[in-house]
Amino acid sequence: MKILVTEDNVELLKDIKSFLEEEGNICEIAPDHRSAFNKIGIFPYDILVVDITLPDGNGLDIIKAVKRENIEAGIIIISAKNALGDKVHGLEIGADDYLVKPFYLAELNARIKALYRRKMYNGEREIRFNEFKIKPDSYEVFVNGHLLNLTKKEFDIIHFFVVNRHRLLTKEAIAEHLWGDDIEMADSYKFIYTHIANLRKKITEKMGVDYIQSIYSVGYKFTDRE
Amino acid sequence: MNLVKKTNTQYLLFLAFLFPIMMVVDYFFIQYIVNSEVNEILQHEQKRIDFHLSKQGNLPTSNYLMKTTPLERTFDTIPEFKDTLFFEGYAGKQIPYRTYSFTTSINTRPVRITLKHVLLEINELIWLLFITTSFITLILMVGIYFINQKIYKWAWRPFFENLSKLKKYDVTQKNPIHLKASKIQEFEELNKVISTLIDQVEKDFQNLKEFNENISHEIQTPLAIIRNKVVLLLESENLDEKELKRVESIYQETNKLSKIGKALTLISRIENQEFTRMDQIDVHTVVVNILSSMEEIIDFKNIKISLELDAVSMECDHILGDILFTNLIKNAVQHNKKGGTIKMRLTDGKFEIINTGKVSEIAIEKLFQRFQKGGTAKDSLGLGLAITQKICEIYGFELQYIRDTDTHMFSLFFANKKVLNPSN
Repeated sequence: MKILVTEDNVELLKDIKSFLEEEGNICEIAPDHRSAFNKIGIFPYDILVVDITLPDGNGLDIIKAVKRENIEAGIIIISAKNALGDKVHGLEIGADDYLVKPFYLAELNARIKALYRRKMYNGEREIRFNEFKIKPDSYEVFVNGHLLNLTKKEFDIIHFFVVNRHRLLTKEAIAEHLWGDDIEMADSYKFIYTHIANLRKKITEKMGVDYIQSIYSVGYKFTDRE
Repeated sequence: MNLVKKTNTQYLLFLAFLFPIMMVVDYFFIQYIVNSEVNEILQHEQKRIDFHLSKQGNLPTSNYLMKTTPLERTFDTIPEFKDTLFFEGYAGKQIPYRTYSFTTSINTRPVRITLKHVLLEINELIWLLFITTSFITLILMVGIYFINQKIYKWAWRPFFENLSKLKKYDVTQKNPIHLKASKIQEFEELNKVISTLIDQVEKDFQNLKEFNENISHEIQTPLAIIRNKVVLLLESENLDEKELKRVESIYQETNKLSKIGKALTLISRIENQEFTRMDQIDVHTVVVNILSSMEEIIDFKNIKISLELDAVSMECDHILGDILFTNLIKNAVQHNKKGGTIKMRLTDGKFEIINTGKVSEIAIEKLFQRFQKGGTAKDSLGLGLAITQKICEIYGFELQYIRDTDTHMFSLFFANKKVLNPSN
């Protein structure tokens, strides 16, 4: 998919760009308001990632312009201001999602993919990875055609893994994905540890390959690469 | 002791000290005046007698004449004054007199003439002085007292009004203070100094606030970058285990820093009164929702929850209300032991949450301060209860904490006492 990221911090912009490109996307960047407008006017994008505070304007104006011009693109706001007013306002004028800085790139990736899926395939699409098949809307995971009996959180974990395959997911990123910022606590990590152990068991029971690699105590990687 | 009492006491002490001095000084002064007056009268009488003698050759009638003593021969003596007492039959007592003796001659016969004049009685003088001095002192005292009262009421009024304004002054509230002007130069100067100080304090407070906001807000983007780079490092194949451990701890500390930043931003936003909505919150629903979002963790820790929740509503911003209850419940889950219990009771205006858990090492009075963390949860930031306390402060809620050997109870009283100033 084609993504435009508007963000004034060049270093963060580079990180986002390389992360999203490694995921096989075409990612263009706009470090300010003006260049974002120019690019949106010329090229079609599937997803716009917009920072609210830009040096030469407000990111909300970009969203308004996109909606005014009837441009078909999913919009995700990223903002350092954890201001709920901004969030509500942004979603009201037509943004699809809102992410507070500092966010995990894996989280941004998951949100972009979820949004893309919702926008382009009306939620019909399955996610496939080798013998895995995930139906996000019915919260179902199939291994070799067998349905796994998973809890809600186990589903969330495996979904997050598959969406961010081949990437290191730290336990903090997983915890924040599962619970959000406010509720996650020290016990969350133990919880994740236990549930990943359960997941491994459930997958291997259905003759699936356990693709979950533990990366020391840092986190996990879901990959079929060595 | 207030100012008027203090002043009056000082005046009184001064007058009490002055009173005997006044009496002694007056005594000698009046005595001196009376004596010199008597001396003058007697000397004047001598001149009159001398003059009469030289013109008429005989003694004139004189009220002051006491006696004439013929002298054997003429010799000039210096006229002399003498004080003496005479018994006066009419008064029935001895009366002080001053006598004055001088020599002259009547028809060439030398004589010594003695004149006398009655003196003031000392006892009477002292008595008189005591009465007059007391009288003056009394008048002075009464006068000073009333003048003081008057000054106190009139001149000090702006001072006291300003004082009570200053007492109510709170730098965290955005109400500017208007000092009452005074005609008295010193008070006006004081007002100016106070105004300057308040301006300075407000400026400093504003700077501090902005600094807090900026620092906690502006660090988030650099932190995000650090975190992303660290994840890339962690994904790198070239690190050995030792290096990975180091990078991992950079990662964890960065996360912690970012959370501290977020929590501090929240605190300063609460302090800045950015949450001004007064929503009617259904506390029952809020609590149930929070519990359901923590459900897995609660099950995971095998914590038994017992609820006694009435349908109660509460008036505050819904975001803050959510944070308030989330923090209280999260606190009870986080510091609980495996297989512990949490009891919640919600009645009108009161929410109680009792959880099992180890005895905290934090002194109770420090519990709500920032960065206080119990030994059991080294991963917590110690900001949750500080945020909870801040929210309670702005709505006038009261939060109490009681602990027993292994149970902890927080009681939240949320009958709104103070209505948030909606204009801010």
